[in-house]
Amino acid sequence: MLEVKDLTKTFGSLTAVDDLNFTIKPGEIMGLIGQNGAGKTTTFRIILNLLTPDKGHVHWNERYLTTKTFNKIGYLPEERGLYPKVSVENQLLYFAQLRGKKKSEIKPLIDHWLEKFEVKGKKTDKVKTLSKGNQQKVQLISTLIHQPELIILDEPFSGLDPVNAELLEDGIREAQANGASIIFSSHNMNNVEELCNSLIMLKNGRPVLNGTVKDIRQQFGRTKLFLESELTPEELRQFPGVQRVEKTNDGIDVAYLTETEDGKAIFDAATKNGYIPTFSQQPPTLEEIFKRLAGEKNE
Amino acid sequence: MITKEVYKKNVKSIGFLVMVLSPLIVIAFIAGLTYYFSQEEQAAPDVPIAVISEEEGIDQLFSNEQWSFEVSDNIDTEEAAEEALLDESIGGYITAEVVEGTVQAEFVHTNELSDQSSLIQEALTNYQSMLRADQLDLAPEEVMALSEPAMLDQRFVNVDEGTVTEEAFSDRMVQQGGAYFVSIAIMIFIMTYAGIIAEEVANEKGTRIMEIILSSASATNHFFGKLTGVMLVLLTQIVIYAVVGFGAYIYFRDSEMVQEVIGGIDLAAVFQELMGYTIIFFIVGVLMYVVLAAFFGSLATKMEDVNKAVTPIVFMALTGFYVGMFAFTAPDNLFVSVFSYIPLFTPFVMPFRIAADTVSTLGVWLSIAGTVVFAVLISGISLAFYRSNVLIYSDTNLLGTIRRSWNIMQSNRKAIRNRA
Repeated sequence: MLEVKDLTKTFGSLTAVDDLNFTIKPGEIMGLIGQNGAGKTTTFRIILNLLTPDKGHVHWNERYLTTKTFNKIGYLPEERGLYPKVSVENQLLYFAQLRGKKKSEIKPLIDHWLEKFEVKGKKTDKVKTLSKGNQQKVQLISTLIHQPELIILDEPFSGLDPVNAELLEDGIREAQANGASIIFSSHNMNNVEELCNSLIMLKNGRPVLNGTVKDIRQQFGRTKLFLESELTPEELRQFPGVQRVEKTNDGIDVAYLTETEDGKAIFDAATKNGYIPTFSQQPPTLEEIFKRLAGEKNE
Repeated sequence: MITKEVYKKNVKSIGFLVMVLSPLIVIAFIAGLTYYFSQEEQAAPDVPIAVISEEEGIDQLFSNEQWSFEVSDNIDTEEAAEEALLDESIGGYITAEVVEGTVQAEFVHTNELSDQSSLIQEALTNYQSMLRADQLDLAPEEVMALSEPAMLDQRFVNVDEGTVTEEAFSDRMVQQGGAYFVSIAIMIFIMTYAGIIAEEVANEKGTRIMEIILSSASATNHFFGKLTGVMLVLLTQIVIYAVVGFGAYIYFRDSEMVQEVIGGIDLAAVFQELMGYTIIFFIVGVLMYVVLAAFFGSLATKMEDVNKAVTPIVFMALTGFYVGMFAFTAPDNLFVSVFSYIPLFTPFVMPFRIAADTVSTLGVWLSIAGTVVFAVLISGISLAFYRSNVLIYSDTNLLGTIRRSWNIMQSNRKAIRNRA
């Protein structure tokens, strides 16, 4: 179990991470979101002991991380890199050996992993001869092949096509099933919604969201109303609490409400003549929440 | 682990093979050329010249064996000689006459015979001396006595801490040669290996491999692992040269040409010289610069910036090298003395001062101690910065990067202190 407590890190006058708290239990996936420069990479670096926090601590199974526990980590940095002139096999062996594995332990696994991630190319090929997507997969394999218990992925989905993104998701789920604690950052809220048990959004180093995806969405209320009825957009706008109305491509009106309760009056008015095809009051999507919070000025 | 990987990667690369082989090929090529030309020279046919003179003695003077040219007998007028020169059947001609005991001669020649003119003059001068001795009625012994050169006996001494010791002239040659050799060797090895390690580090940093590695091994392990790896590659190269050199010596030592070149040199003395201070300077010098290169390499953000990042080292080494060359000619210079105690330049400059005996033994050891202390110091500083350097990806200049790295370092230090 990874426990991050009261984590604070400053560089001179800049506070990169401000009072961050979370825990990830075995078999749990946490998403870390936030704009560029929000403090995600700094958080990862503190967890990896590359930086020392000013305050707070990172515990792995109730202890500080040491060189020994490092062997249980799989880390995928934000910008991918492999030794271009080394073969796929030697590369994977080297990284696994750095994590304390023996050559003989890893060698038999390589074929299986290359197959699983559908890497095109032979294991004796030099990395630079592979396409970018395949290189990315090789790097991912190097992050996972030593069966880490703590997996840290910095923007793992960036640059992957939907097919490869799904392979990655499968890989993450498999590690989760094996009981790993997983933390990853992403700009793609769909990945976060699909994969994460919980998420944290950082803004200027401060957590502005913290909880499960469902709770977070609910806490913003069911303020997004999808409506297909006889009411015109003009009429909709007259209702109290309606901030604006948009029309989707398939003719459904979307009304943005101030509070969940505002929907009741609209429902009554829309259904006064009986049946309507659509009335759906939804919490905002993660992406909308993200944009809203990211756009807000600091208080 | 890191050491092994660095070593394997570099030794296996084609670049290493090229690096090791290229000097050997160049040496073999030069040796081959030299051999070819020396053969060529020996085989070259003598260029004939014409001697036009009324004097029997002068004619005889040029017809004996010692000359590398032949005299064609059938040309005895200047016109005929000019004609022969035109159709290239002769390379030049000498006209000479004796006017009142003075030899007046003219030597008309093509480029081929340029190197003969001083010999010709000497011969003619001797002939003139003989003529005058004759006029003065001097006996042959008296002529001998007149032209006998003064006795100059050379004794080469060494003034060291109040004692005067004598040494053979060739010792000094060997020492200076050794210093020269070390200077160039240090230069070449620094340039090569500073480049290699800076590239290694910048490459791993640029590709973020560094972050993966540092999250599995400590920065100290990584830094020294890399250093050891690169040093082992260097050692491999030296061992290869030693083996090849020894093999070549065994194989060629009986050849005439090699005998000629090394005959005058005491190989044991050269070896001893190389094994002495020089090897210390070589090792410390290369180490120092390689550490610096790792440091500067860790400042670069991308592979493409490596050259920019190692520029300061290159300049430093070049400065040292040129001061060393200057010390070769002026080992007593104050400027040279000062530079020989600046650690970064010591390995380049001090060997020349030792060779020229302008430094005391104490001075040598002081400079060695200084250099070693400095090397340890910069290793420590480089390592401290290394840890934070590798986390900085900025496009600012080197100083900006160092400043930011310093901030991170301070912030980490403070944090560790607070925690304790």
